[in-house]
Amino acid sequence: MSPGAASSQGVERVEVAASDWRDACQAALARGERFCGAFAAGRGSAPRRWSALFADGANTRVLSTVPTRDELPSIVDLVPAANWDEREAHDLYGLRFGGHAPLLPLVSHPSDASSWTVPVEGEGVFEVAVGPIHAGVIESGHFRFHVVGERILHLDPRLFYKHRGLERAAEGRELAEGLAYAQRACGACAVANSVAYALACESVLGLVPSRELRRARTLLLELERLYNHLGDIAAVCAGVGFATGNMAFAALKERALRLNRDLVGHRFLFGSVEVGGSCLAPTPTAVDRARGELRELGQEAARVWREIQFSPSVQARLEGVGVLGHDDAVRLGALGPAARAAGVSMDTRAASPELWYGSSFAAAVPPGATGDVAARLEVRALELVEVFSVLEELLSDPLRADTAGRDGPPATIGVARVESPRGETVCVMEPEASRVERLHLRTGSYANWPALAFSTAGNLLPDFPLINKSFELCYACVDR
Amino acid sequence: MFVLLRHLQRVRREAALPRRSGARSLAIRHVDAGSCNACEHELTATAAPQYDLQRFGLDIVASPRHADVLLVTGPVTTRMVGPLRAAYEAMPEPRLVAALGDCALGCGVLGADEEIVGPLDTVLPVDVRIPGCPPTPQAIADAILAGTPPPARC
Repeated sequence: MSPGAASSQGVERVEVAASDWRDACQAALARGERFCGAFAAGRGSAPRRWSALFADGANTRVLSTVPTRDELPSIVDLVPAANWDEREAHDLYGLRFGGHAPLLPLVSHPSDASSWTVPVEGEGVFEVAVGPIHAGVIESGHFRFHVVGERILHLDPRLFYKHRGLERAAEGRELAEGLAYAQRACGACAVANSVAYALACESVLGLVPSRELRRARTLLLELERLYNHLGDIAAVCAGVGFATGNMAFAALKERALRLNRDLVGHRFLFGSVEVGGSCLAPTPTAVDRARGELRELGQEAARVWREIQFSPSVQARLEGVGVLGHDDAVRLGALGPAARAAGVSMDTRAASPELWYGSSFAAAVPPGATGDVAARLEVRALELVEVFSVLEELLSDPLRADTAGRDGPPATIGVARVESPRGETVCVMEPEASRVERLHLRTGSYANWPALAFSTAGNLLPDFPLINKSFELCYACVDR
Repeated sequence: MFVLLRHLQRVRREAALPRRSGARSLAIRHVDAGSCNACEHELTATAAPQYDLQRFGLDIVASPRHADVLLVTGPVTTRMVGPLRAAYEAMPEPRLVAALGDCALGCGVLGADEEIVGPLDTVLPVDVRIPGCPPTPQAIADAILAGTPPPARC
């Protein structure tokens, strides 16, 4: 640890000289730590800072440096997963990364397509442009497919059509006010983003979540995972035209959303997470009703899942499509169900002492872990079983409103990692007095998009919607 | 065929089923102009068995060229205002524009000023307003059905 380092709540901040940047990152990787995001800070005339995050179990190491004349060596050759982070920092903060060539625009949208696509040439190679507006009810984003016939050679995704500047807009707000910016980054990951933000703020305030707080937040996270997974299974069924599965799971998702409204007060659980406390205290009647409904949902989901599993025509459309292998998943930094389907046994819930997952919690990795659409679907079905059992355990004890206790010195930087339905979401909050100086969200979707694009190569163009649905990533919390 | 239809009409009268509120069907094109995705989840839910909006003749269509209604979510970001206008221009007339959700209506929008152009009515003429964060599938269904002209006869 360097002399300037401060350690608190599993977060260690280390200042690194710009010239030692690559060595410091390499040393972290050599210790077995996992890259989990990078972010720039410092606007206007203030000097830019560049930080990379490395995870080791529940602990996070923040390496920070001040680039020389806004330039520093890239680490994409060491950590391919840092590709989008560096490109974003270039577009939004003007940082340059030596060795990252070409440094294609990510958030910026230059009109010349050659400036942001990878050149693909040869006989019979065509470009197919899709979006930003899609045929169904889908978020906005553009895909540039390079194809020969129906076969995809390469996909250049272009997102950030929905960039709202949420991180910038949160700067200067009171800590409690900043929560809304993290939450509204994404409707479908609202709880994961909010819990990550609340935990980051609490570590800065020197607060430790009480037992009640940990239980309430875990309940909300699992309710969010429940409706997302139900909806994701419905979407994959729709992707192969299996109306029975689609409608059955869509109906189950709607019931889960109504359960959220009855138990928590909002279908998407908005406004249910606070910094430093929880006012979630459902009445015994509401809890009983929810437990009954959850039991029914669990039985019904299992029943329809069996129908999907034993429908050969459905399975034949899922197997071998959109394969993301184990090594590629690790190399590209895939997270969540996408990584577990590829056999990467990683789930941040197993390393979340500030939440309420038992010590026996283990990542759900399907047998075989083929990394294709079938495996990604199966991970969700496996996780649903887990979700129902965690929810039943949490609801079998009454939940009471509570506040976080004061404990230990406040950290200088708040970092929290939370498993969202799409993978680990990392929230960084740097305070200035009682206000947000820098807020950064790196969601599970952000980490997985490059892996999704990679997994499409070699597949048929008409299978892209299916592959896309099997990852079911958000655009909103990537674009922010 | 006509015998069957007359029979169906009689059965509906006897069962006192609600009359279809629209004389025609409506083709809807959705454009996400920077939403948080919650409005999309609720719009998708209108096709779930509990609502099944298609039975009222309301269909989401793939192209704005086939659409009567442009249903817009989100606060309208700088990067989506161009594609949004292009979709509107591509629609045949007469056409309606519906603002779905508080962001599109300009209420409680979060974000940096320089990234947001909206609310929607500063970009396109808005005919139907559907408030909510997000509006429930029921609210979406009610608003769109109320926006369709009453039946000439049933």
